[in-house]
Amino acid sequence: MTTPPLLEVEKLTKHFPVGGGLFRGPKGAVQAVTDVSFSLKPGETLAIVGESGCGKSTTGRALLRLLEPTSGRVVLNGEEITGLAPSQLRAARRHMQMIFQDPFGSLNPRMTVRETLLEPVLLHEVASGERATKWVETLLTTVGLSAHHADRYPHEFSGGQRQRICIARALSTRPRLIVCDEAVSALDVSVQAQIVNLLQDLQREFGMAYVFISHDLSVVRHIADRVAVMYLGRIVEEAPVEEIFARPRHPYTRMLLEAAPKPEPGQARREGAAQGDTPSALKPPSGCAFHPRCPLASEVCKTTRPGDTVIGAARVACHHIEAATERTSIERPWPPALAARLKVLAEARARG
Amino acid sequence: MTMATDTADRPLAMPANDGGEVAAPPPRAHWLRRLLRDKAAAAAILLLALICLGAILAPWLAPYDPALNSRAVMKPPSFMKGGVPEHLLGTDGQGRDILSRLLYGSRLTLLIGLVAVGLGGAVGSFIGLLSAFYARLDPWVMRGIDILLSFPAILLGLALVAVMGQGIVPVIIALAVSSVPDCARIARGIAMGVMKQEFIEAGRAVGLSDVALFRRYLLRNCISSIMIFLSLRFGQIILIGATLSFLGLGAQPPAAELGMMAAQGREYLLFAPHIAVIPSVLIFLIVLTANVAGDALRDVLDPRLQT
Ligand SMILES: Nc1ncnc2c1ncn2[C@@H]1O[C@H](COP(=O)(O)OP(=O)(O)OP(=O)(O)O)[C@@H](O)[C@H]1O
Ligand code: SF4
Ligand SMILES: [Mg+2]
Repeated sequence: MTTPPLLEVEKLTKHFPVGGGLFRGPKGAVQAVTDVSFSLKPGETLAIVGESGCGKSTTGRALLRLLEPTSGRVVLNGEEITGLAPSQLRAARRHMQMIFQDPFGSLNPRMTVRETLLEPVLLHEVASGERATKWVETLLTTVGLSAHHADRYPHEFSGGQRQRICIARALSTRPRLIVCDEAVSALDVSVQAQIVNLLQDLQREFGMAYVFISHDLSVVRHIADRVAVMYLGRIVEEAPVEEIFARPRHPYTRMLLEAAPKPEPGQARREGAAQGDTPSALKPPSGCAFHPRCPLASEVCKTTRPGDTVIGAARVACHHIEAATERTSIERPWPPALAARLKVLAEARARG
Repeated sequence: MTMATDTADRPLAMPANDGGEVAAPPPRAHWLRRLLRDKAAAAAILLLALICLGAILAPWLAPYDPALNSRAVMKPPSFMKGGVPEHLLGTDGQGRDILSRLLYGSRLTLLIGLVAVGLGGAVGSFIGLLSAFYARLDPWVMRGIDILLSFPAILLGLALVAVMGQGIVPVIIALAVSSVPDCARIARGIAMGVMKQEFIEAGRAVGLSDVALFRRYLLRNCISSIMIFLSLRFGQIILIGATLSFLGLGAQPPAAELGMMAAQGREYLLFAPHIAVIPSVLIFLIVLTANVAGDALRDVLDPRLQT
């Protein structure tokens, strides 16, 4: 409990200006991420969940400053990332890496695996010369590939193998934090299980923290220590993983859990549409942004944005937490599809 | 460090274990073989190669000095009525050997085209890539390109000649400048597609500098498409260059240049048409083969560029 946090994110905000042209100012802003705060201990995994377009990726990118945040503070290991000059920021990237969703798009097709892995190693002076070559081979075996893969190009590998290469690249500088943005979503279910297990093994071995962005609750349940639920750019609930699955407090969290897991990312939208459309991040609803879809919404919800309430280890932004919690206090059985996915993951674990 | 102890010998390295995913893409025939399977393309490439070879080897192949006058003026090709065996393609109005002038002329024509397309392509592509790389620059660069596009090459050539005097250099500059906007636009389009890909962001996430990102990630992924476009552009440049020298702007006599040769033949069009027709046919062949070859190359290497 007393370990100092590795990562502190305070009121991180990213708004994208829209409209306007060469000589005109912007007309408005997509409020992709607003006032997102959380902290992460070394070796911990925080999952960020929420439906498509709620700002998960933007949060991950803004906290790594792959997107310049509109405001807010990010402190990694005592260093204020948000205050770094460009060259300092590049150097700081040694400690924070990222794994992307698309294993086919996130590797430079014109570079061999060796070049791809050597690049960060040499750049951040992790090793040089003979030792760098050795380190690349060690990395490859660590992620379940072998040294003879080093001189091949990305197109010669399968999706799962490429994701292993991406993991090796993220690992190559021995970072303290890795942001995984839908790192397994594009893969086959069986491959997903292998990659999730690999990520867990690596965390145990090297002790880095993960920000694990996903819309797949079964994977999240498997890998996360804590879960942050986002809705329209804000965290509406954050709690330990068992807590959130056993006692979801926010009405939106409950809605997410009740919806059966979808194997394809695209389907999340249709699900949302069935229960009321996701309002636009360009013009979020007043008060609690969730009120147009919320079964518990009252007058106050339309006018006043709920502040964070801390209940034990959980943090919830809702005016009617008591009512919400009551409604879910009975443990309901898992939807069958989710149960099946969890079983696959558990089996893969046991085998590994 | 205890890396790679239990993870290494876990049997998941090979594609078979990675589920039912696509492994490596299906083997595609080597691009060169696919290119030559297309009969028209193969013929065009062969012909263009022969013309280039002739141009390169002109000093050794040409039977006469291309500037040497003789008394045998306006002789038709040797295989036609009135032709003489000494001059395979006949002679021009000043009795110069047309074959020799053709070899030297294509040399100059191709050289002008090559230098112009190289210069214009390099500058234009760099501008286009930069514009795609730095989104903030983009609107300004596009405005500039629109302005440049409104100057036709011929007018630009005339203006430059007026300022710099006649010669090959102003023509090359005019041709290069006139290909800058097109090259910039095409390169920008290609680069925009590459910039959208996740590996660019992945490179940034690793901590690469802009220079490294530009060179190793952007340029490396654009260069082959850009080269294909330039090979298509080459035919056009040759044609515009020949037009300029037909108008008397480019190479000066007694040097041989195809456009100029066609222009000189104009005077004899009625009684010795071969003097104008032969160089014109060669220009036509160069442009045609360059276009067919470029098209085929594009189809084989980069179907994205099809419009
Ligand atoms: N570059 C951008 N310019 C303008 N709007 C953007 C930009 N990037 C993202 N957005 C908007 O910001 C919001 C959040 O997008 P984000 O990609 O973070 O969502 P997400 O939660 O990752 O969704 P998904 O699950 O589909 O990946 C969306 O409304 C999106 O349209
Ligand atoms: S604040 Fe009101 S509208 Fe928002 S989630 Fe809670 S009950 Fe629903
Ligand atoms: Mg996303």
